[in-house]
Amino acid sequence: MLIERHGESVHKKLKSATVGIAGLGGLGSNVAISLARIGIGKLIIADFDVVEPSNLNRQQYFVEQIGIGKVTALSDNLMRINPYIKIDGHPVRLTPDNIPTIFKDCRIVAECFDKAQQKQMLVETVLNTMNDVIIIAVSGLGGYGKSNEIQTRRISDRLILIGDSSSGIEAGFSLMAPRVAIAAGHQANAIVELIIEG
Amino acid sequence: MAILKINGEDKIFENSVPSTLKNLLESLKVDEATVVAEVNGQIIPRGNFQNTILRDGHKIELIRFVGGG
Repeated sequence: MLIERHGESVHKKLKSATVGIAGLGGLGSNVAISLARIGIGKLIIADFDVVEPSNLNRQQYFVEQIGIGKVTALSDNLMRINPYIKIDGHPVRLTPDNIPTIFKDCRIVAECFDKAQQKQMLVETVLNTMNDVIIIAVSGLGGYGKSNEIQTRRISDRLILIGDSSSGIEAGFSLMAPRVAIAAGHQANAIVELIIEG
Repeated sequence: MAILKINGEDKIFENSVPSTLKNLLESLKVDEATVVAEVNGQIIPRGNFQNTILRDGHKIELIRFVGGG
């Protein structure tokens, strides 16, 4: 079915790709679902957290999943969407020590954390210790409106940055499903472009 | 007069450039915990900001993260 939609060469590239997703909140849960729908080969997903009521304003979970670990909850949801993808789940807190090991089979890692310091830690770790890996990070997706201010920028060979770089939660912006999904859509779209066009 | 090229733009300092990357971030009032920095094409781990010496003409890329995800 997906071969018919995408053509065989695109389908093969997607099917043989392994993508890492660090953080399974508003960004990570949306990115994972987009990639699962188009038939990505394998997702390596990591988050230590459980689903909370406050997550449901933007994250792809259900009321009955409150209290369940996000890795388990998202894996269940992804399997309902596309049971033919492989999922490697890590319900752990990501650190500079375990990031290179957990994502060692990925050529692309999506930075999907919530806190600025965590984003910094992941991007620095990947750029410094994982030589061939491309990191797709997000900075600035709070609030609503201003859809076109969310941009995808290629900062260097190995860093793509998405967002408006300014509307952070520190500045009082709240997070809402539509704008978070726009940023996650940019992220997933950049990943697909890298997989198909190299 | 001294110059640092920061994110592609010349920033001019009257006397000399800030002595270290850490001092530069302080002068820009940027929280170093939210910045990934590159000096002359080299990623500088956050732990080394303090002992990364800056000189006139250095090229610096600062990627700033704000929260939300």
